[in-house]
Amino acid sequence: MIQAQHLTKRYGAKTAVDDISFTVQPGRVTGFLGPNGAGKSTTMRMILGLDRPSTGSVTVSGRPYAQHRAPVHQVGALLDAKGVHPSRSAYDHLRAMAATHGIPRTRVREVIDLTGLGPVAHKRVGGFSLGMGQRLGIAAALLGDPQTIILDEPVNGLDPEGVLWVRNLTRQLAAEGRTVFLSSHLMSEMAQTADHLIVIGRGRLIADAPIREILDGGSSARIRVRTEEPARLAELLTGAGGHVTTAAGDALEASGLTTRQVARIALDHDVLVHELVPLQVSLEDAYMELTKDDVEYHSLELATEGR
Amino acid sequence: MTTTTLHHRGSAAIASGRVTFGRVLHAEWIKFWSLRSTAYLLLATVATMVCLGTLGAWGLTAAMDDGHPVTDAMIHALPSGGLTFGQLLIGALAVLFISAEYASGMIHATMTTVPARTPVLAAKALIIAAVSSVVGAGSALLTYAAVQPLLRPDGLDFALSTEGVAGSIARTGLYLALVALLALALGALLRSSAGGIVTLSALLLVLPTALSVISGDLAAEIAEYLPSNAGDQLVAIEIADDALTQLQGGLVMGAWALVPLLAAAVLLTRRDV
Repeated sequence: MIQAQHLTKRYGAKTAVDDISFTVQPGRVTGFLGPNGAGKSTTMRMILGLDRPSTGSVTVSGRPYAQHRAPVHQVGALLDAKGVHPSRSAYDHLRAMAATHGIPRTRVREVIDLTGLGPVAHKRVGGFSLGMGQRLGIAAALLGDPQTIILDEPVNGLDPEGVLWVRNLTRQLAAEGRTVFLSSHLMSEMAQTADHLIVIGRGRLIADAPIREILDGGSSARIRVRTEEPARLAELLTGAGGHVTTAAGDALEASGLTTRQVARIALDHDVLVHELVPLQVSLEDAYMELTKDDVEYHSLELATEGR
Repeated sequence: MTTTTLHHRGSAAIASGRVTFGRVLHAEWIKFWSLRSTAYLLLATVATMVCLGTLGAWGLTAAMDDGHPVTDAMIHALPSGGLTFGQLLIGALAVLFISAEYASGMIHATMTTVPARTPVLAAKALIIAAVSSVVGAGSALLTYAAVQPLLRPDGLDFALSTEGVAGSIARTGLYLALVALLALALGALLRSSAGGIVTLSALLLVLPTALSVISGDLAAEIAEYLPSNAGDQLVAIEIADDALTQLQGGLVMGAWALVPLLAAAVLLTRRDV
């Protein structure tokens, strides 16, 4: 379990992380989502004791990371896939990390096999693809068989098979009761991997909720209805407290009502409905909606006309 | 992907593994020797020192043949004659031992496995000092052996048991160890390979040369306490009247190594990685 309390990090006048508090629970995959420069990496560095918080605190399994006497057995982390000396072999890199905790070479071999690095284990890391680098980083994170796994952008640069592998691995780790915390800016990947989402933007906490809740979008969930009497149904739905957002042709989009309520209203007033669909917000939409005010670098909307 | 389990078969055994200084030392030892550049730089240091010492012997015999006076002190100092350039090579290795971790991002893995941080610097210091002293003394000994055949025709060859020679060879190792510690500290303080190596070269070569062209007592006074001069005095066999003794030279050089190293240790715990 990771617990952050009022975590703040300032670099001079710039506040990278601004008073965020959250708890990452064991037994599920928690996604850490935010635009570039939102403070994801800084937060992860503070969790791992690499950066000192300006104010606030963060603990892993009940105590600050640096106070663990065998940290690698508590927390396994992938921060920077290229964070290996390019002239060292993957095997030697892992062997050196293992040596700090007296982890035997058999375990080094195990994580190499587990991550599929066997054929390149004795090659220089400098020649690795980004995907191979990610696998090495994940191998290092698993070395101590830790209770908590922290992965910064783990699927970055992986091929589709690798992406699927990371997804299954993280889900398996969580199913074993471990705490899994992974950051990504790939929202579609998060939608398929994470159970819970923590969203930050410009250093502030925007959302901390189960992924289902974020996808449902709370009360703003929309429903599409096709009917032969759109005008009459729109009136009826509005009268029932719903909010009809668009009406084009025979289709209506309503919010503030459940599909069941819409069907009941239509039945009661004898309106024929030939389509009734709950419109699930994609994680992308939900995320854009959440972070629209908190994106640090807005791109110029040049593509608008071409759409 | 594979049938290997996530768990280690002897999970209980690895779960008890705590970070100890001995283990950090072992890890740094693996890191040190698992880079090919380590062996190359060490070999280059030995080769440079032996070649320069041998050239020195050649020069001395040539000078004597031309009728110039050659003292015993000059001849007996030949084994340590290659230090001037040897120290730069081993210094570069020592800077890289830590600065390369910052350059590659490896430092994140290093400091998350050993969050106390200072044991890492201490382990690196111990390793680089031990290796450098062996390389320094070994190179001096090899140089001693290499110059004897050149000196023999002129009857200038000398025994290892000649007064002061063995001690000077041993102190050549000590000097290289202290230079390596200074270099390691610079690498840790500046966190940059280029910055560390340039600063070290400036301190060891450029500054003494610059001060020698400035006239005045102050410049001479400062030059006396620079690592290069302190090191010369440390390995010297005969000491001029107003110069630093071997012990004084050693103490000055020790300060050059330890003060930056302590500063590096303090900053290592205070700064963000």
